[in-house]
Amino acid sequence: MSDAADVQRVLSGDVDAFARLVDRYYERCARFAVRMLGNRDDAEDALQTTFLRAYRSLGKYQERDKFSAWLYRILVNQCRSIAARRNQRERVFVREEAVLLNAPDRRPNWSGEDEEFVQRVLAELDPLLREAFLLKYVEEMSYEEMSTLTGVGVSALKMRVKRACDRLRARWERIKDE
Amino acid sequence: MSDELNSLDPYVQWIASEARLSVAVDPAARTRLLDALRTEPVPHRRGRVLAWLLEPRPLALPPLAAAALAASAVGIGMLGGLAIHRDGRPSTAQPPSAGAAISQLPDSIAPRAIKFVLIAPQASHVSLVGDFNGWNASANPMKAQGAGMWTVFVPLQPGMHTYSFVIDGSHFVADPAAPIAPDDGYGHRSSVVLVGGSSL
Repeated sequence: MSDAADVQRVLSGDVDAFARLVDRYYERCARFAVRMLGNRDDAEDALQTTFLRAYRSLGKYQERDKFSAWLYRILVNQCRSIAARRNQRERVFVREEAVLLNAPDRRPNWSGEDEEFVQRVLAELDPLLREAFLLKYVEEMSYEEMSTLTGVGVSALKMRVKRACDRLRARWERIKDE
Repeated sequence: MSDELNSLDPYVQWIASEARLSVAVDPAARTRLLDALRTEPVPHRRGRVLAWLLEPRPLALPPLAAAALAASAVGIGMLGGLAIHRDGRPSTAQPPSAGAAISQLPDSIAPRAIKFVLIAPQASHVSLVGDFNGWNASANPMKAQGAGMWTVFVPLQPGMHTYSFVIDGSHFVADPAAPIAPDDGYGHRSSVVLVGGSSL
C-alpha cells in the first residue's frame, strides 16, 4: 500500500495505518538521526518527536508532496532543535567529543571498529556540513530535494557538501601514513 | 551506487558507504512510540470551510463593498495595535533579536506590500520564509539597513499568512513582535500576519 493510501486511512480513522508508515521509515530515520546526533538517546528522542509531530500534523500534509520528504523535513528540524538544545545544556557531548578528539588518530582496521570510527569522523564535521553530507551521500537525495527540505539554496548546499568532502579528505591525508 | 558517489575520493566514499549501513535501534523505543501514538486523538484533515477561509485569494468586489470592507479592516487593525501594546514587546526591542511585521491597512482588497522587520545584529544574512513563498529561504532575502536591522517588502494577498525568519541559512526564528502560529509540525515556531486587517 502506498504512503498516500496509508495517510488517507489514518485520516479516515484507521490509526493502525500509521504503524505501517512508522515501520516503513523508522530505520531510515533512525540512521539519519544517529549519524547526525552521534548518540542513540538523542536519536531516539528525535524519532519519537518526529513521528508524533507527523501524526498530529497529518491533516496538514499535502498529497502533492512526497510523504518521505515531508517526514524528513520534520526529522531534520528535530535533529537541529535537539543539537541546539544540547549545546545550551550540559555540554556532555562536547566533553565526550573532546575526549575522542584528543585520542590519537589512527587508521581504521576496516572491521568491527568501523562504525565507531565513522561516527567519530562525522561528529568532527560542523553540523551543517554533516547534515548536507548525510542528506546527499547517505540519504542519496538530489540537491533540489535537499533545498526543499532544508530551505537552503542549491548552491549553498553544494558548497556545504564540497566542504564536508574536503574536510574528510584532509583528515585522511593526515592519518593515512600512520 | 550513484555516479556522484563513485566520483568521490575513495576514503570519502568509504565513509559514506559505512554511514549508509543500518544502525541498531532499541526495539522497545518503537514500541514506546506506538504506545504514545495510541494515546493521541485521531488526526483529521483541515475542514474544507476553514481551508477555504484561510486560503489567500484575490477578490473582486463592487466599490461600495470594498469601501465597507476597508473600513472594517481599519477597526480590526486598531484593535490589533492595542493588543501588541498590551503584550509589552515593542518592535524595536534590543538584541538578541526583535522584529515586527507591519501590515499596511488596505485601501482595497488587492495584494499589498507588507514590510517585515527583524533586529538581528549578529546575523550575516537573513531571509523571510512563509506559506506565501513555499518556505523557500532563497525567495525573499532581507536587506541589511544598518544597526542590525533587516527588512523586506513582500506583496501578499489578503488573508492569513504564516511566516518565519531564517538567520544565516539555518536558524529559524519566529517574529518576537507578532503572534505565534499554531505548531506547523516542522519543529520550528512561526508567526502569523493577517493581510487585510491586522496580525491576529
